Amino acid sequence: MAEYVRLKPEPGRTVSDQLYQLGLEFPCGGCSACGGCRVRLVDGEIPITEGMREALREDELAAGWRLACQADAAVPVTLDIEQWSARILTDNTSVAFEPGEGFGAVMDLGTTTLVVELVDLATGDIRGVLAGLNPQGRHGSDVMSRIEFDLREPGVLCEHIRGALGAMLAEVAQGREVKEVLLCGNTAMHHLFCGESVEPLSHVPFSSPALGARTFAGSELGWKAEVVTFLPCVGGFVGSDLLAGLVACGMAESAEVMALMDLGTNGEIALGGRDGILCASTAAGPAFEGGRIRMGMRAGDGAIDRVEATEADAMRCHVLGGGEARGICGSGLVDAAAVGLALGMIAVSGRLNNAPLRLDGAVQLSQADIRELQLAKGAIAAGLEILRRQLPVEPDVVRTIHLAGAFGNYVRVESARRIGLLPSWKAPVAPVGNSAVRGARLLLLNPSRREAMIEAALRRTRHVDLGGDAEFQEAFIENMRFMPPGR
Amino acid sequence: MADLETLRQAIIDGDAKTAGAVAREAVAAEMDALTVIQQYMVPAMDEVGRRYECEEFFVPELLLSARAMKAALEPIRPLLAASGAKPAGKVVIGTVKGDLHDIGKNLVASLLEGGGFEVIDLGADVSPQKFIDAVQSTGANIVALSALLTVTMPSIKMTIEALKAAGVRDKVKVMVGGAPLTQQFADQVGADAYSENATAAVTAARRLVAAG
Repeated sequence: MAEYVRLKPEPGRTVSDQLYQLGLEFPCGGCSACGGCRVRLVDGEIPITEGMREALREDELAAGWRLACQADAAVPVTLDIEQWSARILTDNTSVAFEPGEGFGAVMDLGTTTLVVELVDLATGDIRGVLAGLNPQGRHGSDVMSRIEFDLREPGVLCEHIRGALGAMLAEVAQGREVKEVLLCGNTAMHHLFCGESVEPLSHVPFSSPALGARTFAGSELGWKAEVVTFLPCVGGFVGSDLLAGLVACGMAESAEVMALMDLGTNGEIALGGRDGILCASTAAGPAFEGGRIRMGMRAGDGAIDRVEATEADAMRCHVLGGGEARGICGSGLVDAAAVGLALGMIAVSGRLNNAPLRLDGAVQLSQADIRELQLAKGAIAAGLEILRRQLPVEPDVVRTIHLAGAFGNYVRVESARRIGLLPSWKAPVAPVGNSAVRGARLLLLNPSRREAMIEAALRRTRHVDLGGDAEFQEAFIENMRFMPPGR
Repeated sequence: MADLETLRQAIIDGDAKTAGAVAREAVAAEMDALTVIQQYMVPAMDEVGRRYECEEFFVPELLLSARAMKAALEPIRPLLAASGAKPAGKVVIGTVKGDLHDIGKNLVASLLEGGGFEVIDLGADVSPQKFIDAVQSTGANIVALSALLTVTMPSIKMTIEALKAAGVRDKVKVMVGGAPLTQQFADQVGADAYSENATAAVTAARRLVAAG
């Protein structure tokens, strides 16, 4: 299933600008150095630049490949951006696409970011994508502070999010009639959108009676859509975003055991296959998105996104955009820690030999930054380990580790393994992009099988509450350390 | 003869096996329990606290040291009781109702114990009534309340109010702590002390006891 975007020339905005706003990222910051932002031209014309010639082979250029970061066009163009949303498991024959009519939309309601996709129900093509920030963010960055705010001022957050998503839908639909919208998000986002009471989510055992799917008439929400459905939550804080991720990677039908890790603010992980799936959320905090790190920032111009060791045993930093380093993003942080460990600048305990650790220009990591990273990676590694022990399954039986989210696309797997964020299991790590959106789209495009697909995933999946698990706390503390290689 | 310097170092290094072994040797050699604790073990934990404060140690090291301290206290404790020596103070500690997080609370409990306090750990998700019962049955002089979530912070206030209503608030000092808490919050709910981290909690507890 190819994914197309159609773009028209706009005064003052290049194709590159438009793609960037659609959420495509330029790994090297747009200086054509890496070729990592390639897109395939399907229709129209995008002139080949010098930089494209250097980064791409002659036959690739002939096949229509271009660099998004240098793209401009004088005529309307259609681009295939499939590689940006990674691969759907095409060998999964049980998921057939049922052509329909008109347009539908899927939405990923994240704690931090929102994504709205317009889908052509006749072809399965994506006809537009919009990404934005969750307007609830000004009332707290994590789910707990949102819940607390809603208990104090009920209804405000609900109104905000419905308004913001409705406006994004109108913008992406551009007057086209939208038949159906499917939403996914974690349990707190689900409750706040649907107007359910978040009180049960404010204390142990964090179990709400209102986890089910909710369907609205578009008019109820003030949206230009016929029917809007928020997909059901799995349990605890694990919501339909993980459910959709399970659908996207076909976990509930898989004969082989696989893992799915979504390393956002509310880190969600699942492990299993058709014989049973365990899932959990670990409050990893925002370190991987640059949060709570003193010089942390999101992956954008000026962010150190990659760190390598030079032959002289020093650190060499790569800066997005090629200019002066202004901060460090999640993938850079993981790299810096891995290189620091390899060069002996960071001890197994996390202690910096010489604090702060200077990276590039004015950018440095403090001891507290390394501690923040230890907490975040410790929580995730411990969560996965507990799911593995409880399933139970031997490490070598796990065949694939799917890594969802933007951070998952950019983090160097080798570095993530070195610092113990990812386990040292044999299974290859596969970045899967936004698996929540992809799973929701699969459900949207299979209306007659949708209920069965959701039911199959929910029935096989059990939520594990790590909060009160003594074994988890033990594993958490153990995993805060940077284990030496080979362990 | 037990090498008490080894005991001190084993606690700092978080080596529970060695710490326990040396402590048993000390007991066998009939060394004075109070001297061993006050001159070697408590200073070792103070050193651990100092290293944590200056960011040399992190949670795992702190916890390993606390475990080594516990392993060393195990064989010595009966002697201490027999000698009639009094603990630095009696602390009832717990994570408040609605909150299951207890890593931070456990750490504080271990460090308090290492600091010579008798600690009654009520666990996590503890109701106000349980705190009241524990204070009444143990005659504790400090109640330590922990919360890790913004949404469970009101439970701290509820617990303090319940202590008042039960007429035991005046009999104890109340300490509060946990990631989302601040000194300002502690003042608002009428706590006697707030500590930002586990090692500061020991200092705060000592201050409260000294102030009577």
